[in-house]
Amino acid sequence: MSDGIRRLSDELARDPSSLVFIQLGEELRRTGQLDLALRVALRGLERHPHDADAHDLLARIHVDRGELTAAFDEWDTVLKLAPDHAGARKGVGYVLFKQGRLAEAERYLSQASAQGGGDPSIATALHMVRRMLHFSDGVGGYVAGASGNGTNGGTPLAEAGRRVEEEARRLFADILGEGEQTALLLDASGLVTAGVYMTEEGRDVAQEVGASLAGIREDAARASEHLGLGAWSSVTFETDVATVAMAPVLDDSLVLVAAARSVPLGLVRRVLQQCARRAGAWLGATS
Amino acid sequence: MSTTQFTGLITALTRQRGVLGCLVVSERDGIVVDADVRAGVDAAAVAALAAALYRRARLCSEAAGLSTVSFLQLESEHGQICAAGRDDLVAVVVAEAGAPVAQLRTVILQSVDSLV
Repeated sequence: MSDGIRRLSDELARDPSSLVFIQLGEELRRTGQLDLALRVALRGLERHPHDADAHDLLARIHVDRGELTAAFDEWDTVLKLAPDHAGARKGVGYVLFKQGRLAEAERYLSQASAQGGGDPSIATALHMVRRMLHFSDGVGGYVAGASGNGTNGGTPLAEAGRRVEEEARRLFADILGEGEQTALLLDASGLVTAGVYMTEEGRDVAQEVGASLAGIREDAARASEHLGLGAWSSVTFETDVATVAMAPVLDDSLVLVAAARSVPLGLVRRVLQQCARRAGAWLGATS
Repeated sequence: MSTTQFTGLITALTRQRGVLGCLVVSERDGIVVDADVRAGVDAAAVAALAAALYRRARLCSEAAGLSTVSFLQLESEHGQICAAGRDDLVAVVVAEAGAPVAQLRTVILQSVDSLV
């Protein structure tokens, strides 16, 4: 048992009517102790049946247990208790997405995004749903004239998902050509939204590279702001083996171009600008 | 102004067009080692923020398997920061947005050998 869970358990034992059960349940959920988390949440709800965050916790535990209908019902309760609860809207959107009800999912995620305080996971989910809507008729069927008939290797929803994934992977392909360079689009959490980063051995390490480099964004923004330099437009750094350039895209995304040292710096910067425009259009087109 | 082992480097950089100041800073703690900045430029703030950015880029680059950072440029709406480091020391230049970055890059990379 971690120190945090032990501390929260002790606190709850001292005061069983405390709302600390929500934190405890969340810690247990995050550490995969789902049966225990469920017991804590249900017991807490017996004392606090009208607490929206407690129902939200229970919904997330149900999701982790694969119980989507039960999760939906809990989030529905949350929205009755607290109609502006961004977490519940995001949750309902997630369940609807998993059920292939894309148009409804889009509506809930849009509302969550509008009130979610910049939660990057909502923006990413919303973007994915909108791109899938682009490739489907919104309820899992196919748009007339869209290529592919959905019969090849999976459900229409899965096929739309594959097409979104492929579109994202190839977003910068024509800009990069066959050169020794690669480009990634990262969300605010450093997760890869588009692009690939292949090693010489043919392994896609985009997630690892993205996670490693995304932190530079915060320091760049902080330095620009504190020194009165205005909004930052790019960070470029050279290493012994590569040139890396990055630029902000829309509110919370980042485009990153990495090229071999043999690629001229000026070309890297031009490619960065092109990729930033492409990424902005791609994200903006569905925002 | 007293002369230090970094005076030559700082003089070479501050006389470039568009340069508002040049500093030698400790990457580890962001403290100014030597500096020549125009009035209105907060040397301590530049040192702390530029060192943090350079350190972050170095650590991120190494984590991503891209080796050691040798030069960094931050471009912003109203200005730019260029930096090049060696061991724990980083030469930092604050410049106007329109300053010639290619020239600055060349001079700062030539100067970095004197960061010992």
